Amino acid sequence: MSIKLEKVVQTFYENLEEGKITAKKCTKCGNVEFPPVYACNKCGCWDMEWIEISGKAKLHSMVMPAPLSMKPEYKALGKYCYGEVELEEGARFNAVVRGINKKKRDEILEKKMLPVNCKAAIYQRDGYKTVVFDYVEEE
Amino acid sequence: MAIMNQTKVNPYMRSVSIIGVGCTPFMYTVDREETNGLTEGELFGYAALKAMEDAGVSPRDVDFYFHGEASPLNGSNYLTPNIQIANWFGMKGKASIHHSEACCTGYYAIEEAVNAVASGKYNCVLSGCVEFGDGVAVPNHPYKREKMTMDRFLATTAWLYDRNYTRSFMAGQELIYDDAAEWYKRTRGITDQDMDDTLNWMCINNRRNASVNPLAIERTTYEELAKEKGFDNVMDYMRSPYNPKMGDFLRAGAIELKCDGAAAVIVCATDMVDKYMGNKSHKPIEVLGVGCAACEATTPHFEVTATEEAVRQVYEVTGVKPEEIDLFYSNDFIITSHLVSAEIAGYLPYGEGWKYVCDQRTAYDGDKPINTNGGRTSFGHAHAASGLADLYECVRQMRGEAGEGQVKFEAKTAMLRGYGGAQNICTYIIRTKD
Ligand SMILES: [Zn+2]
Repeated sequence: MSIKLEKVVQTFYENLEEGKITAKKCTKCGNVEFPPVYACNKCGCWDMEWIEISGKAKLHSMVMPAPLSMKPEYKALGKYCYGEVELEEGARFNAVVRGINKKKRDEILEKKMLPVNCKAAIYQRDGYKTVVFDYVEEE
Repeated sequence: MAIMNQTKVNPYMRSVSIIGVGCTPFMYTVDREETNGLTEGELFGYAALKAMEDAGVSPRDVDFYFHGEASPLNGSNYLTPNIQIANWFGMKGKASIHHSEACCTGYYAIEEAVNAVASGKYNCVLSGCVEFGDGVAVPNHPYKREKMTMDRFLATTAWLYDRNYTRSFMAGQELIYDDAAEWYKRTRGITDQDMDDTLNWMCINNRRNASVNPLAIERTTYEELAKEKGFDNVMDYMRSPYNPKMGDFLRAGAIELKCDGAAAVIVCATDMVDKYMGNKSHKPIEVLGVGCAACEATTPHFEVTATEEAVRQVYEVTGVKPEEIDLFYSNDFIITSHLVSAEIAGYLPYGEGWKYVCDQRTAYDGDKPINTNGGRTSFGHAHAASGLADLYECVRQMRGEAGEGQVKFEAKTAMLRGYGGAQNICTYIIRTKD
């Protein structure tokens, strides 16, 4: 397949408006690129197809927001941390994970629970929707 | 682990050596009458001519120059900052190129210059960087500058991050501060208290190094500051509200002192050293190899991942072993960087580096010195220029010309690791040529 000049970014955000969190999947090796881009970073193939992700993910590391790493508009997130998130489909990237405060972080570390489960959510920012994750407490 | 592509680096077509270095003091130019009003051409030109003088070359000998500035539009009102200073150091008419890799610029300054000579195209090249990180140009005035406000600085550093996804996801640009400390603490299994002490000792060591460096911006030791505030023990001061927690791990002292400055280097073909250096007696320092990688800020543990790849490349192409590295420099605008990169490079043993730091073995008079100039938290951070300021210091150490701050043994081989620009990594190894 030849390369297509395609509005990947706009499509990604329009899909969020429709309640769908989407990624690009490599038709050759199956690697999932999230957030979506033109070509597969694993095998180099540029024949990619849109998929909807399940939202299931794991959180591998936790950094708490602090004066250096906070912006006023982040207050609306409630309690949250930053960390390395791995989608069930395989992609790994930095993201915001809500539902974790310092106390919860310490508890997760003390009990050596990492990685913990989390789930993707669509989050309204000023003028557009984005993707954050929510901590999923173990049953 | 996130996906990470690798590159195989080939040896140079011909050997290239460093023959001259120059550096301005790092300054808050606006704050002092003697320096208020200094310009880009004056800072860059001073560093460039100092490097030429040091090398024993004339501007007429230099074939080409590279110019680095992290944020020329913001700091200087310039789009093509290499051209706007072109008449200042005797090279009028000669070609040049501007590059910016933000805080990694001063390291790519070596990559670019060495490639230009190693390819055979040029024999002798100048590479310089300048930054006004504190005193920004007043538009529509020929030389006046004003203090960079924190709001303006933060607004422009936001430009470092991808607009499509990274800024929108709100994580990559915030993890720059504490991710490395979180990673180190978790993977090495040390306590929060150990991590805090380690970060504090890095600040103390950096400052002690700067205290004996006349070019450093902040030379008052933490021991002196502690005494001033009535503390008998420096660590009590470091843990006090005088050094407040600003991040999840980082305290105020662990952050760069952004400022103004310039630095430059002259490189030439090693087999032409005698022709260029004339009656200069110092030994040339060969650039054995450069390793480079980049991880955009959505990549988990971007600094660690990209440093691992760049270090792998430079060891592979040079054949140098970690135990051969005598001196180590690392861009530590977030101070954690200097420990993390030194362990990845094998300069400090895995999981043990924090103890070396706390035992002050990484200070200039220790057996494993890091950032002997004081690093970004004490020497200062004139963003693009800092990398070449590190090289300036490293070359002076290797020649035995570092004065009061001279390391206590003969340093023959050094590694310098650059980091910046959300996030480029450039790591190189240099060795004194006998
Ligand atoms: Zn693929």
